[in-house]
Amino acid sequence: MKAIKVLIVDDSAVMRKIVERCLRQAGIDVKEVVEASNGIEGLAAVKAGPVDLILSDINMPAMDGLEFLQGLRGEANASNTPVIMITTEGSESRVVEALTAGARGYIRKPFTPDQVKERVTPLLEAMR
Amino acid sequence: MNPALSERTSSRVRPDSTWAAMIQMAAHEVFQLMVNSDVQICENPPEAQSGKVSAMVGMAGTLGAIFRFRCAEESAISIAKKMLGVQKIDNVSEAFDAMGEICNMLAGNFKAKVSILADGCLLSVPTVVVGEDYEVRSVPSGEHIEVCLQYEGKPMWLTLEISS
Repeated sequence: MKAIKVLIVDDSAVMRKIVERCLRQAGIDVKEVVEASNGIEGLAAVKAGPVDLILSDINMPAMDGLEFLQGLRGEANASNTPVIMITTEGSESRVVEALTAGARGYIRKPFTPDQVKERVTPLLEAMR
Repeated sequence: MNPALSERTSSRVRPDSTWAAMIQMAAHEVFQLMVNSDVQICENPPEAQSGKVSAMVGMAGTLGAIFRFRCAEESAISIAKKMLGVQKIDNVSEAFDAMGEICNMLAGNFKAKVSILADGCLLSVPTVVVGEDYEVRSVPSGEHIEVCLQYEGKPMWLTLEISS
């Protein structure tokens, strides 16, 4: 699998570090991580250049993960980029909303590196 | 008000006797998975809550409440180090950030365990208060569930302040 560039969108810097660590622990070859603390910064990061994978929190200030997903629709740089939502919400309706808006999967917090691997690996394999 | 939320507030949920156990269970899971640590029931909890760091998450919809997680700064730093897998954190603000995230996960995991709340209640982004000299005054008709747990021998409190 080729080394990937990942965008991690979360209002918590600690969570962004944990997600990056989980990806590396899962054996995913991460060549670059771009961080954003809300959907607005996430969209700006995508406009600045394409990424191979996006992991985004749902519940964030300024622009939440669902609005971010909607914003990604018009972005040429993200037309084929898989997005995985990370959420504390046990709510099925929020997850369905995210999947309907274009997310390719979701990870519920709290999570383990294995759960991250389970969600991310098939998407990366499909990109090969 | 968000129309989806407005619809949810029309049928308010009342707490029941299982909720304290659900909060404990949620805490065990969050600490095991994210902090790689166990928490124990505090057999003889101190009479009053203490601790310099309090993280809060609002709950709205079928339950109007604040979920609060309070502990000593030393505990917050230890939690952050374990979450990040490091010996030393760069800045104490990382500990406050970690507290907000843990509180968020505690509230979310508790909510997921109470089926009636799972789809009918939304969470706010967390807020963290640092300092001990404050008092919480709940609404007179509100209810309150408090769970005291021990982390590395120190007490920490998980409180659900229900406003309506």
